[in-house]
Amino acid sequence: MTASPSTLALATRGLRKRYGARVALDGLDLSVPTGVVYGFLGPNGAGKTTTMRLLTGLLHPDAGSIELLGRPFARGDRRRLFEVGALIESPSFYPYLSGRSNLRELAATGGPVPRTRVDELLELVGLRDRAKDKVSGYSLGMKQRLGIAAALLSDPTLLLLDEPANGLDPAGIVAMRETLRHLASTGKTVFVSSHLLGEVQVLADVVGIIASGRLVREGSLETLLASEAVVRVRVPRADSEAAIAAVTPIGPAAAMPPAGNEPVGAELWLRVQATPDRASEVNRALAGAGIFASALESGSDLENLFLELTGGEPLPGSEGTFQGIRP
Amino acid sequence: MRIFRSGLRKLVGRPASIVTVGLLSGLLVLIIVATAAVSQRSGTPRAQAEALLLVTFPGAYDIILSFILGLGGLFAVIYGAAIAGSEWGWGTLKNAVARGESRSRYMLLSFAAISVMVAVGLGLTFVIGVVAAIAGATIANVPTTGLSDAATLGRLPEEFLRGWFAVTEEAALGFAIATLARSQLAGIGAGIAFYFGETFATLFLPDIVKYLPFAVARASVAISGSAAAAANGGGGPGAAASLGDANTALVLVGVWLVGSLVVALGFTERAEITG
Repeated sequence: MTASPSTLALATRGLRKRYGARVALDGLDLSVPTGVVYGFLGPNGAGKTTTMRLLTGLLHPDAGSIELLGRPFARGDRRRLFEVGALIESPSFYPYLSGRSNLRELAATGGPVPRTRVDELLELVGLRDRAKDKVSGYSLGMKQRLGIAAALLSDPTLLLLDEPANGLDPAGIVAMRETLRHLASTGKTVFVSSHLLGEVQVLADVVGIIASGRLVREGSLETLLASEAVVRVRVPRADSEAAIAAVTPIGPAAAMPPAGNEPVGAELWLRVQATPDRASEVNRALAGAGIFASALESGSDLENLFLELTGGEPLPGSEGTFQGIRP
Repeated sequence: MRIFRSGLRKLVGRPASIVTVGLLSGLLVLIIVATAAVSQRSGTPRAQAEALLLVTFPGAYDIILSFILGLGGLFAVIYGAAIAGSEWGWGTLKNAVARGESRSRYMLLSFAAISVMVAVGLGLTFVIGVVAAIAGATIANVPTTGLSDAATLGRLPEEFLRGWFAVTEEAALGFAIATLARSQLAGIGAGIAFYFGETFATLFLPDIVKYLPFAVARASVAISGSAAAAANGGGGPGAAASLGDANTALVLVGVWLVGSLVVALGFTERAEITG
């Protein structure tokens, strides 16, 4: 990102954090512009939650600096968080208190909260009818909604949400998305950490992708997707060299390595850097060279970009990833 | 003040508060009523007189108070540990810190709310105990003329205040242990182990144990030879190892109280909150 420091709602420079021998963050540089929804993406164990904890003063960095709302944030600057709302990991509440009581008691901490705010937020997240019920009886989705309400208590200028869609039903996800978009439209900044790529793609203006504790890509969603537009074709392995030569005039092409544990077969995927509207051109060029593709895909979705940047594989020292069943 | 009031509201609604007071007063009532009911059947006049001590005023005041301060100490450790541990276990401390709240202030005011609840709990249990003793006296046909004994009533406030301070110190100990353990269960377990461990250690190290938190708590209420004697002879930690001087013990109670809080707040201030 090239936004000037004064327009950044949140910035980190060289942020480092270790847990014993394991490096969780290795020089993270984030630049979050004011008034946007920022999607913070990364595989499990990439350092997303550690980043959120550092941004809210729950952890202290080993090195590096944080700027919140244009001012440095370090130990002793806790009042800076009066303008920040956060939902980190799973929502945490007193199980024996009602939803309303939990919000009321939380409002007693940090910056001042108007009396009417609690009921407004219960209405916003659709918990007004269950406000008197004990939180121990809430479903995961209800707790998540209460957590979002808790994050909004101080009407924050900067909102930090860690996996906010967890446990929400489809209607809840849509409502949350609309709420966050509305907040951004009023000049507030929403920082959303997620691994739900589709959700981030429809929600975020700007995306940062983290892998192994480092930022590997950051920019507006539009720019990132445009730069990653590809056409993929599946061709016989024996014809791959000829196929690359045939499509290279359209865009740089290369053979893709087998994904994960996929066995080396008689065919392989070629990746041609070209916008989706040139897919037919690629097909025509291959046919002209006497090569017939058994499959053709085009697109520029966030998933491709994400997998390409993070490798789609477990990172050394990370939590690992789901491997799936391979025949 | 917002956090203190909030802390009180949270404790009033908390099942642990009701269970703690309920158990303490329930046991007290059970002992008093049972003693009164069976006293008539005691074999010798001496045994009968001893059984009736519990429902004979003004002595009953001291016995009730000593019971509350003795068993209340154990309950206070558990209660303090439960409150502090749950802040870590449930992740509610995380919420407050992420809202920019001062960690030390939050924990200190939470403990201040606990100390108020301790006072309320002790007072409530004492009143219930006295009512039960009056009922017991009625059952056992013991006159209750000593109820208004001026000398006893005159020293009760000071005894009660000292007792409250001592039990608060014991709650602070549980609070600190659970904070270090970041867990309710571990805090409660370690608190109970400390309580009984101190009793056990009295057998071997009486000169050291008399300076330990439960022993000084008991010794600090020993001001007039009544509640003091009962408390120190009650079988709790420090029963056989006492400082003797209640005022010195009271100072040591303060030292343990402040020390426990300093440890708890210092740890919370520096801790990395990952839960």
